[in-house]
Amino acid sequence: MCVIRTGKEGETGLIEIQNVSYAYEDAAAKALNNVSLTINDGEFVAVVGHNGSGKSTLAKHLNALLLPTEGKVLVDGMDTADETDTLSIRQRVGMVFQNPDNQLVTTIVEEDVAFGPENIGVPGNEIRTRVDRALAAVGMEKYAHSAPNMLSGGQKQRIAIAGMLAMQPKVLVLDEATAMLDPKGRRDIIDLVTKLHKENGITVVMITQYMEEAIGADRVAVMSGGELILEGTPKEVFSQDELLHKHRLDVPVMQQLANRLNARGANLPKCILSVEEMAQAICLSLSKN
Amino acid sequence: MPIVVEKLNYAYMQGSAITKAALTDISLRIEDGEFLGLIGHTGSGKSTFVQQLNGLLQPNSGTVHVDEFDMADKKQRMEGRKLVGMVFQYPEYQLFEESVEKDVAFGVKNMGIGEEEALERAHEAMALVGLAPEKFAAKSPFELSGGEKRRAALAGIIAMKPKYLVLDEPMAGLDPLGRKAILDTIDNLRASLGCAVLMVSHSMDDMADRAERIAVMNGGRLVMEGKTRDVFAQSELLTSIGLDVPQASRLGMELRKRGIDIPENIYEIEEMELALLKLLSKGGRA
Repeated sequence: MCVIRTGKEGETGLIEIQNVSYAYEDAAAKALNNVSLTINDGEFVAVVGHNGSGKSTLAKHLNALLLPTEGKVLVDGMDTADETDTLSIRQRVGMVFQNPDNQLVTTIVEEDVAFGPENIGVPGNEIRTRVDRALAAVGMEKYAHSAPNMLSGGQKQRIAIAGMLAMQPKVLVLDEATAMLDPKGRRDIIDLVTKLHKENGITVVMITQYMEEAIGADRVAVMSGGELILEGTPKEVFSQDELLHKHRLDVPVMQQLANRLNARGANLPKCILSVEEMAQAICLSLSKN
Repeated sequence: MPIVVEKLNYAYMQGSAITKAALTDISLRIEDGEFLGLIGHTGSGKSTFVQQLNGLLQPNSGTVHVDEFDMADKKQRMEGRKLVGMVFQYPEYQLFEESVEKDVAFGVKNMGIGEEEALERAHEAMALVGLAPEKFAAKSPFELSGGEKRRAALAGIIAMKPKYLVLDEPMAGLDPLGRKAILDTIDNLRASLGCAVLMVSHSMDDMADRAERIAVMNGGRLVMEGKTRDVFAQSELLTSIGLDVPQASRLGMELRKRGIDIPENIYEIEEMELALLKLLSKGGRA
């Protein structure tokens, strides 16, 4: 296990995952094995891993959809195993799932966004304000009276996010929320979540198998075989290409290119994640010569 | 003989008040044994187009010929359809039988082939997609992993021995290794069966890696068609209609924007690596 800790010791995070193990019923192997991770208030954390690595199982522990077999999860100090706190925990931690067709429940967009707040007894006039704000935040005000089934996958995911925002959560968990979208839909969701994080200060936990989506996170946690094998800033994590390969993960294409160029005598920075960074690094290297 | 599409026009709800042109004046050939990529953003008409290839939809005007069969003719359509294997998005949702071998054999049996031969073909197809029959034949499809389920669904189509394999986003939702496994399986199928492949995908890096030719759709029209290299050499144009391009092409665009001379037709990362090495070492000598 190779861990680069960025959180300070002794600091209490918004979400504390403490030595969590989890086994699905009848399963021979544990889906999570002794995972510890702290999500701090206001952070953007990406959790990456291949299919079956346990990343979605971990996500479902963050709002008590699953309860640890061993260890515990604390959300704002509340233990997810304590049923009396389940509702408060789910208000703080909103989840958006993979399939855009499975999450919308009503026939009109604004009713869908109002569904959560209504369920927890928010007064009518406040619901109105929350729904309008949430739709504006995801750029879907124009569709307030549309039918969800007429929207694209990306738009449906934005409505699902609006439904979570209307609950005024502290944390937004996206469980492979872009996996079924086309490239434009994916970009829209990533841009939206980045904006919500930057402008509204919402804490984001993004579960993804696309390494490129993790580049913009504050911190990346890598899951493999139910274990947390690596944790650090994107640059720290993606410079560990041998370890990532060993766990069936790719490093971003530009990082691979930088590694190969450097191995053949180029003098580029050790960490290059995006196309823009690569273009800049090459310009700089050429001008130095 | 190829699939030949000529001057195809198609509108949903033709003749009604809400008729909407979905495909306009499309002519395209899918040659025997080739790997043709079809790209275009959501709503560009890709899926509507591929449904014309096995007669699920029929043109309002223009023709589709699969080998010698005219797909507008009901009898000929039945024959043409046998040559075209279609794998839709998330095909694993369509698995339903109690065992993998029965599921894979289902389509073959529907073609009027007897139980014994159908199972034999099912086992062959399973081996081709990397699901060893001795291990997987008796398993329930629901015990398989996501990637295995997808391969089982693919095997169900392969068992029908299509001459043309049409795949709509076959890697959607899989992780990088799962994607590579499906792409390798497709290459393997082409090599061992000689079938042509038409693959719809949003993943330009996968297209760059595998397709020999690429057709680009936009707004229901075929806007570009050519060798993979020639199509991705038009990266600026592709980007302008909202499409992604391979990362090597994107890097080329960014470098050209900064006044660095990188040929427009570089789209593979290995090629880009060589071009950059040359550039960086040349700079060093100057």
